[in-house]
Amino acid sequence: MENNQVKERGMKILFLIAACASILAVVLICLFLFANGLPAIFEIGPGKFLLGTKWDPTNNVYGILPMIVGSLYVTAGAIIVGVPIGVLTAVFMAEFCPPKLYKIMKPAVELLAGIPSIVYGFFGLVALVPIIRNLFGGSGKGILTASILLGIMILPTIISISESALRAVPRSYYEGAVGLGATKERAVFFTMVPAAKSGIFAGIVLGIGRAIGETMAVIMVAGNTAVMPTSILSMVRTMTANIVLEMGYATDLHREALIATGVVLFIFILIINLCFALIKKKEA
Amino acid sequence: MTYVNGGIMKQLRIFAILLLVTVLVTGCGYSGDMIDVVSREDGSGTRGAFSEIFKITQKQDDGTVLDSTYDNAEVTNSTAVVMLTVSEDKNAIGYISMGSLNDSVKAVDINGVAPTAENVKNGTYEVSRPFLIAVRDRENAVVEDFISYILSSDGQQVVEALGYVSSEDGSEARYTGYVKSGRITVAGSSSVTPVMEALKEAYIKRNPGVEIEIQQSDSTTGLTTVAEGISDIGMSSRELKTSETDKGIIPITIAYDGLAIIVNPENPVDNLTKEQVYDIFTGKITGWNEISTDTTE
Repeated sequence: MENNQVKERGMKILFLIAACASILAVVLICLFLFANGLPAIFEIGPGKFLLGTKWDPTNNVYGILPMIVGSLYVTAGAIIVGVPIGVLTAVFMAEFCPPKLYKIMKPAVELLAGIPSIVYGFFGLVALVPIIRNLFGGSGKGILTASILLGIMILPTIISISESALRAVPRSYYEGAVGLGATKERAVFFTMVPAAKSGIFAGIVLGIGRAIGETMAVIMVAGNTAVMPTSILSMVRTMTANIVLEMGYATDLHREALIATGVVLFIFILIINLCFALIKKKEA
Repeated sequence: MTYVNGGIMKQLRIFAILLLVTVLVTGCGYSGDMIDVVSREDGSGTRGAFSEIFKITQKQDDGTVLDSTYDNAEVTNSTAVVMLTVSEDKNAIGYISMGSLNDSVKAVDINGVAPTAENVKNGTYEVSRPFLIAVRDRENAVVEDFISYILSSDGQQVVEALGYVSSEDGSEARYTGYVKSGRITVAGSSSVTPVMEALKEAYIKRNPGVEIEIQQSDSTTGLTTVAEGISDIGMSSRELKTSETDKGIIPITIAYDGLAIIVNPENPVDNLTKEQVYDIFTGKITGWNEISTDTTE
C-alpha cells in the first residue's frame, strides 16, 4: 500500500517536471526574444523599424516594412490557394469519398504533412518556378510562386482538422436534413459544413500559422529582395527569410535587428494563436 | 439542387473572372529578355569579394558604405541555388566560386579573358579572391606541420585538383614532415571548407595519428575564434581587417579562388566587360538586348 503511494507521488512529480519543461521553454524563448530584440527596436526607433521601407544593414538602416508586407502577402496568397482546396478536400473525404479511395487519400494527406520543408522548397524551385516563368515571364520567383507552394504546404493541416471537425458533427444533423427532403449535397454544404464551422476555421488559422512561420521552402522560391513588392510577380523577402539569410554574418545592431524581426514575427504568431483560442472557446 | 448550386456557381464564376483579370493585368508587364540578376545575401564572403572587385560597394567620404546592388536582384543564400536558378532561367546572371563551376551553366569571359585557373594565376583574370588561413602563434607542432604540408607541392596539388589556384606562398618542395599524434581545430569560412576538407584527408593519410576537426561557419567567426584561442587555424575567404591583424593573428594565403560570372548555356553572350557587369548588377542595364549589340559590334 505504502509502496504504491510512493510510486504515485514519484510519478506525479515526474509528470509535473515534464509539463514544466515545455512551459519553461516558452518562457525562456519569450525572455530571450524580448530581452535581445526590444532594445534594438528602441535604438532604431519603433516607427523607423516597423514602417521603414529600406533595409541596408551595412549602413545601419533597418526598416522591416517590406518584410512584414512580404510575409502578409505570401500568407494571404497561401490562404487563397490552400483554403478552398483544403476545405473541399476535407468535405469530400468526410462525406463523399468511397472507402477504397479513402484508404489511399488519408495516408497521402498524412505523407504530405511529413515531407520536410526543404524538399518542398526544392520541388518549388525545379517544378513551380519554371512553370511560372514560362507563363508570366520574369524570373519565376516571387509572391505567386511562394503562395502556391505555401498553399500546398498548409493543405494537410487544413484537411485533417476540417475533416475531423466534420466527422464530429452528430450524424442526426445529416439525417434530419435528408429526412426533410434535402439532397445529399445540400445536406452536406448547408447543414454539416456550417455545423463544423468553428473546427474548420481552427484548421485555417493553424494553416496560417504554418504559412507565416515557414522559412526554408519560401527562401528558395520567393527571390528574397528586401524591397516593397509592386505586383503579384514581384520578389519578396519574408520576415523568416530575412532572419535566416543574414543571421550567420550579423554582428552588433544588425544581429539585434534580426532578433527584433523575430519579435515582430512572434507577435504575429501570438495574434494567430489568440484567434485560434477564441475560436475554440466559442465552439465550447 | 440546381438552384442550390446556382449561388455557389455564381460566386465561383465571379472568382474565376477576378482571377483571370489579375493574371492578365500582371502578365502584361512581361518583357522578353529582361535580365534576371541573381545575387547572394548581404555578408556572404562571395558577395563581399564580388562587390569589391566590381566596385559595387564603395566607401563614402563620411565612412558609410554605399552598396549599389540592384534593388530587384534576387537574393539567394547558397551557391547551389544560384547555379540551379541560372541553369534553368535563360535570362539569369549570377556569380559563383570557380571551384563550383560545372556544365549546367556558362561562365562568361571578363574583358575578353576566360575564367581559368591559369588566367587567375598570371593575373589577367582579375575577378579573384584569396583563400586565407590565419594562426595566432606558430608554436603548436601539429599546426606548424599541417601548414608546411598545405604549402608544399603535395598540398598545392590538392588545391589545384579541386579547380582552385595555387598560392604564390607555396613552395616547390615536397612534404617531408611527420607528426605522430595530435589534435587541432580549424574553423571559419564555408567557401574555404571544401579545400580544407580535401587537405585534411590527404594530410591524415600521411599522418594517421593526427586528428583535425573542421568547423564550418564564416570568415569572421573563424578569425575571432583564432584570436580568442578557441581554434588553432582560422579560414577566411577575404583579406583580414586591421582590427583583426591587431589582435596578433597572422594570415597565410593557401590558394586563390576565381569568381565566375555565370549565365545560362543558351545565352549567346560570351563576353562582358567589367563595366557591363557593374551596370547589370547595379540595375543600369536591365535587358539582354543592350548587351548582345555591344559585344557583337
